[in-house]
Amino acid sequence: MPLNDKDRRALEIRALAIRRNILRMIEASGAGHLGGALSCADIASALYFRVLRHTPSDPGRADRDRFVLSAGHKCLVLYAALAEAGYFDPAILDTYGALDSPIPGHPCMHKLPGVEANTGSLGHGLSISAGMALGLRIAGRKSRVFTVMGDGELAEGSNWEAAAAAGHHKLDNLTALVDRNSLQIGGKTVDIMSYEPLAERWAAFGWSVRTIDGHDFDQITDALESAPFEKGKPSAIIADTVKSKGISFAEGKVSFHYWKAKKEEIDQAKAELASAEAALQGAAGSGRV
Amino acid sequence: MSIERLSAKAFGTSQAPIQAFGEALREVGAAFPDVVAVSTDSSSGSGLSPFKEAFPDRHVELGIMEQGAVGICAGMAAAGRIPFFAAIAPFVSARPFEMFKDDLGYMEQNVKVVGRCCGLTYSQLGPTHHSIDDVAILRTIPGVTIVGPGDPVTIKRAVHALAARKGPAYLKIGSPAMPVLYEEDVPFEIGKGILVQEGRDICLIGTGTALANTVQAARILGREGVSVRVIDMHTLKPLDEEIVLAAAREIGRIMTVEEHFLNGGLGSAVAQFLALNHPIPMRMVGVDDVFATNGPYEELLGLYGLLPDQIAATARSLL
Repeated sequence: MPLNDKDRRALEIRALAIRRNILRMIEASGAGHLGGALSCADIASALYFRVLRHTPSDPGRADRDRFVLSAGHKCLVLYAALAEAGYFDPAILDTYGALDSPIPGHPCMHKLPGVEANTGSLGHGLSISAGMALGLRIAGRKSRVFTVMGDGELAEGSNWEAAAAAGHHKLDNLTALVDRNSLQIGGKTVDIMSYEPLAERWAAFGWSVRTIDGHDFDQITDALESAPFEKGKPSAIIADTVKSKGISFAEGKVSFHYWKAKKEEIDQAKAELASAEAALQGAAGSGRV
Repeated sequence: MSIERLSAKAFGTSQAPIQAFGEALREVGAAFPDVVAVSTDSSSGSGLSPFKEAFPDRHVELGIMEQGAVGICAGMAAAGRIPFFAAIAPFVSARPFEMFKDDLGYMEQNVKVVGRCCGLTYSQLGPTHHSIDDVAILRTIPGVTIVGPGDPVTIKRAVHALAARKGPAYLKIGSPAMPVLYEEDVPFEIGKGILVQEGRDICLIGTGTALANTVQAARILGREGVSVRVIDMHTLKPLDEEIVLAAAREIGRIMTVEEHFLNGGLGSAVAQFLALNHPIPMRMVGVDDVFATNGPYEELLGLYGLLPDQIAATARSLL
């Protein structure tokens, strides 16, 4: 269903809250994987506040949709979205980096409600997601499985084992979204190890593929809600995004993959998010869209 | 002092381990509707045919992708299935080790990985196909159960026990036919070694494919008047510390026997426990720090001291 103006603005406001939460965790610990978390913050907003069938007060519900963050180093966006959705007390965000915090530097399903898999080592999430999709189908359940992968992560060969298996077994309850922010820790992804053309590669593995602007809520929600794009095929969404999206001085810069934050940078980032939110609220108040 | 767990007909009959596993998996499939069987090609070679015939919709073929397969099994378990993933031992243990560690161990998923043709049983095919490091590497993963049964009866019992036991597990079975050692009703419990026979001069602890030769070695020693306690340590993890400690206290001489590297296997586990709790003189039979060579299985066993008379000779050096 297409987004109306109210729905779109609601997702934009949630995305700002997610970005604020990300900053809050980095402020608590002084550092974190910023760039890849911010590049998929809009996607996380669409997933948690529009697409996923989930119940934050009952995270283990058998009929829930599953979300697996394959690129586990983007965990800040997961924690931020789960906190915003009400899975846990947002005060936990301030424990990031502390001993035995429920929000480690890579997600742990035993420590935090809403986390579906212990990712962090790259190239695991798609296999786990495909297994969930297969297991749910064997069990006769209608739940869907969504996973967000990094584009640098695609160089791990195990992904392509899982991609082949998902295509072969016709897992149309599985959607993989590639957060193509085009940068990884060592530079541009196409320079480090290119897996382009991505859409063609996924299609060749038996997936139905769409490429979208990963910061355009109409495109994000349309793609996620249209899955499966073809009956009998898993769906791949290649989402073009901007690393560190939403913080001007960090956008598109590889040095913000892992950010050791200075106080003045945090203050500036907070100010930028506050002014973006004020603009959104003002637009809402004035009836402009 | 007359405990004798062995069947009166021990060594009288034998059965291929894969066949024992396959029969048991079909039984488990009937008892547990959530059990699924997973293969990475060679499903019949891995003993899955009886299960496939009985429950075709609960068999998943993935092709030759053991890393992906372990992750996929973790996902299926997270969705409530109980996967039994069976394939050639080195390719389900060493190759996907990190998936085993993270997706099964760290995620605590209820997946049973079955490594067949373990140890040196793929003797002629060389070190790529030998699996004499699986216990060493998988033993490092917290919460993983590791079982290496020593005869066809206990293979079946282990499959049933593992299906009923929640959590990640590794079951290792060999390839050549194994002599039947036990009656069907032998007491079998994961984590509890079987006191095969009582003795007071030395304790031999054997596991998996090395158990039968360990028993034979004990018989050789017995004919010489040596009183040998024999323990079947079918569960490598969690280790039955109680039965080891009792042997250390009561006998004071322990020798382990395994078709595995000395590094990190049963001998290491027993020595680690005893070093910290009740140090005693030990011997360990197994493969030292070399890639095993290729050749006929029995001849390989002979090269690494795993034949009955060799095991008995090593034991004598401890008396």
